[in-house]
Amino acid sequence: MASVLPNLRVKVLFFGRIRELTGITEESLETPEGTTLSELFERYERRFPALVGFRSSLVASRNQEFAAWDTPLSSGDDVAFLPPVSGG
Amino acid sequence: MNSISDNHWCDLLRAPLDASAATDYVRAGQDGAIVTFDGFVRNESHGRPTLYLEYEAYESMAVGKMREICVEMHERYPIHRVAILHRLGHLEIGETSVFIAVSAPHRAAAFDACRFAIDTLKRTVPIWKKEFFEDGAVWADGELPPAPPAPKSAS
Repeated sequence: MASVLPNLRVKVLFFGRIRELTGITEESLETPEGTTLSELFERYERRFPALVGFRSSLVASRNQEFAAWDTPLSSGDDVAFLPPVSGG
Repeated sequence: MNSISDNHWCDLLRAPLDASAATDYVRAGQDGAIVTFDGFVRNESHGRPTLYLEYEAYESMAVGKMREICVEMHERYPIHRVAILHRLGHLEIGETSVFIAVSAPHRAAAFDACRFAIDTLKRTVPIWKKEFFEDGAVWADGELPPAPPAPKSAS
């Protein structure tokens, strides 16, 4: 990724099976301007190979709303990668 | 964490759910019917005896999605008030995990709206259930909520 672009800071949250796989509940990280949800998830796949293959069974959220994977992030966003829901 | 207005009460709670508080909240003189749904912990899953369950949620988003369900219920059905309470944390067999109460002047709308509420909650509210057995634990099979088809433009 181009390093000349300014970074933005987002908060990333993990739940359920994905929280257990990564060992992360919540973290703040910097990522280049223009990063999409998909690119952010790829970054986690490189960090946690156990996540590879999981994307098709996850839905992304941005600021408490479900979001398409090619949504670009803004500074201050809350991001989560959500497993299939099983409430009720 | 909760969302309360004059026609809905959505709550995520770590203590036993108070069903009578929910029905009292929705009950009013203009109504003629209340329909409730009580979802509780079953003692088996796919034939394996369950010991207990643990529920977790993306709480701020879950309350938002529960509130959206209430708004949509009021748009779709001639109902009066809705209460949707969901429990989080450790639940024993037989304990209520979700309680929904809907009031309306007439019963048909209350039945239909209550069914809509639990069906939509199970598809769209970010809550997860882990099932504990004698020989291990699994995250329950769930439903993947639909993502928006088109990307939002950068803000």
